[in-house]
Amino acid sequence: MAIGGRVTEGSIHTRVLANLQRNIAKGEKIQEQLSSGKTINRPSDSPTGTVSSLQLRGEVRASQQYARNADDGLGWLGTLDNTLSTVSSRTIAARDLVVRGLNQGANDPTTNAAIASELDQIREQLVGYGNTKYMDRPVFGGSTASEVAYDPDGTFVGDTGTTSRTVGAGAKVRVDATGPEAFGEGDTQLFKVLKDVADSIRAGDTTATAANLEKLDAAHNLVKTTLSDVGARYNRLEGMKQSAQDRLLTVTSQLSDIEDVDLPKTIMEMQLQQTSYQAALAASAKVIQPSLIDFLR
Amino acid sequence: MASSFGGINTALTSLYAQRRALDVTGQNIANANTEGYTRQRAEMQSQVGSLSPAMYARTDGLGTGVAVSDVQRLRDEFMENRGRAEHGKSAYLAQQTSAYGSIEDVFAEPGDTALAAQLHDMWGGWNDVSNNPQLAATRSTLLQQASTVADGLNSAHSSLASQWSQSSTQLAAYTNEVNTTADSIAQLNDSIVKAKATGLTVNELEDRRDLQVMKLSELAGATASARANGAVDVFVGNSTLVSEFTTRKLEVSGAKRLDDQNSDPMTLRWADTKTAVQAGGTMGAMADTMTTIIPAISDALDSVAKNLADKVNTLHGGGYSKDGSTGLDFFTSSSGGDITAGTIRLNITDPDQVAVSGTDGTYDNSIADQMADLGESIDGPDREYQGMIGQLGVAAQASGRRNDIQATVTEQVDASREGQSGVNLDEEMTNLLTYQRGYEAASRVLTTIDSMLDQLINRTGLVGR
Repeated sequence: MAIGGRVTEGSIHTRVLANLQRNIAKGEKIQEQLSSGKTINRPSDSPTGTVSSLQLRGEVRASQQYARNADDGLGWLGTLDNTLSTVSSRTIAARDLVVRGLNQGANDPTTNAAIASELDQIREQLVGYGNTKYMDRPVFGGSTASEVAYDPDGTFVGDTGTTSRTVGAGAKVRVDATGPEAFGEGDTQLFKVLKDVADSIRAGDTTATAANLEKLDAAHNLVKTTLSDVGARYNRLEGMKQSAQDRLLTVTSQLSDIEDVDLPKTIMEMQLQQTSYQAALAASAKVIQPSLIDFLR
Repeated sequence: MASSFGGINTALTSLYAQRRALDVTGQNIANANTEGYTRQRAEMQSQVGSLSPAMYARTDGLGTGVAVSDVQRLRDEFMENRGRAEHGKSAYLAQQTSAYGSIEDVFAEPGDTALAAQLHDMWGGWNDVSNNPQLAATRSTLLQQASTVADGLNSAHSSLASQWSQSSTQLAAYTNEVNTTADSIAQLNDSIVKAKATGLTVNELEDRRDLQVMKLSELAGATASARANGAVDVFVGNSTLVSEFTTRKLEVSGAKRLDDQNSDPMTLRWADTKTAVQAGGTMGAMADTMTTIIPAISDALDSVAKNLADKVNTLHGGGYSKDGSTGLDFFTSSSGGDITAGTIRLNITDPDQVAVSGTDGTYDNSIADQMADLGESIDGPDREYQGMIGQLGVAAQASGRRNDIQATVTEQVDASREGQSGVNLDEEMTNLLTYQRGYEAASRVLTTIDSMLDQLINRTGLVGR
């Protein structure tokens, strides 16, 4: 006697148990997603998603780093900007003194001496500005490891190494200006010119003073050129910082799209799963119970 | 003509047969929930009288009752073989999926604290050093971050190694289990063949043997084929494990830890011929995990570690540190040999020895800057690691999906097998009723014949008394 598709208590039991098991496993997965807030909890949940997620996490960190680097660079360039502005205005004051000394001529040695000593004061001040530090490093010293960029008599002791900040993938912005670039070198070096002009005024040598005034203007021009260059770099850096922050927002939202749970959808799925699980339990309880034994006396 | 008392005997055979059938039903009900029990059925056969024609041996052609010719085990051998094959595959995939799961747990990606994040932190550390090379604090932080990366690689490697060792221990235990199970199957074969030869029914022994064979299918992907004398031969990957009453042994040879796997590969082999066993099931998956999956991941991780160390060391060696040293390696191997995930460690411990500058004695940051860029490099360790995790994910996902599909197939086959050979209580209750009524009816036949004979003996021939 062969009965097609014979069903026994055991086969019902096997099937019901397997289905309930599958149902509850699905529930577990949804619970895991809801409790962790992530759809990707392990690489096998979505291999491509995992790789994207790893890359995007890298980009998030890189963008944060770029913004941080840009902040640091802005500090450098801001310091340069302030210092060079002051240097410029002090140089203008020095120029006024020189013009006065030139008009004075050699008539009044006392006044000339006073002008010369005021110029010396300004020069010392400017050398002090030349040694301005940011984060304990002289900003005009290039990559020097020493404490100062200029020694007290105005001689450059730094080097011409440059310092730059990475503010984007492959984008590096220079954040320093070396002493020679800002203050010139040789005979037209600002500090040397100021020393020479003070000397020539003190000596009442108007010819030399006139020549030195031209050199002073040249040195001042160099300061102004560097100042505008620094300003331009400051702007560029601000722009890069902004774009790094924008990129951070974009990348973070992309990461969230890939990794994070869609709450309404997942909660809906959980409700559905729970309903179907309860229905399955109720149905199994009803199906398994009755047997012929219940109806035989 | 049949004899007067022939009918009594006919009724008696029916009483015997119905009672035997009731006993069988009772046995079925008793074992309704016994694992591996196969339902049995009493095969009844009507008895015929002598049919050999002879002058004085005449019969009226009526049968002489009923006999239980056999108690049959209702099991479909083809379905059983199918079940063994599916169980073997299912056990293989389940074990493989769980191995992949453990490997995924080792890396815990994607996460904010796992190796990828540790690498990002380290590149960020180089960036900070590049921003402020004059501060010792940035360099100390960098050394901590780099040592976290090295520790992360070390611990990933040791987790893989310990997973390998656990598999190794477990495989040895399973090998013993297979060997003892094979022995007990051979013993059961012996008992069954002897009992059958003397005409005994050995259904329960056969059930026990089938259960043992199924265990071997799940453990080692074993298949079986029956012999005419009732014995069963068991095969593992085309070679005989149990041949009638004799068995062969399995053994595990080779490496005992992951680090030796490349030089002396672990093999599951026959103890007698020393040839490899093509096992399936749980043991097959374990052997594959130990010889292929874990070594591949471990090699990939080693390559990431080596790539990291090579790239960083090349740059670092060309730079100058605060204390003027140059040509130092940043990472080194704790064993003195090649740098692998297991051996990578920091060579630099003094923050002043971190090479930052391309020119001696300055705060030039070119080396640190180039280091920081390594994180974005196309052939850098980060990309390689990401690729490795991606591949692991694909393999784990594929294995998990195949496992899900196989589990469904196995359930279907199990349900069919259970449907074929399991006890249905409704059916048994119906049988119980049928045989009970049969027994009652046979008693009634006896009573009827008795009263007929009473009529003949006690009330007949009273004429003239």
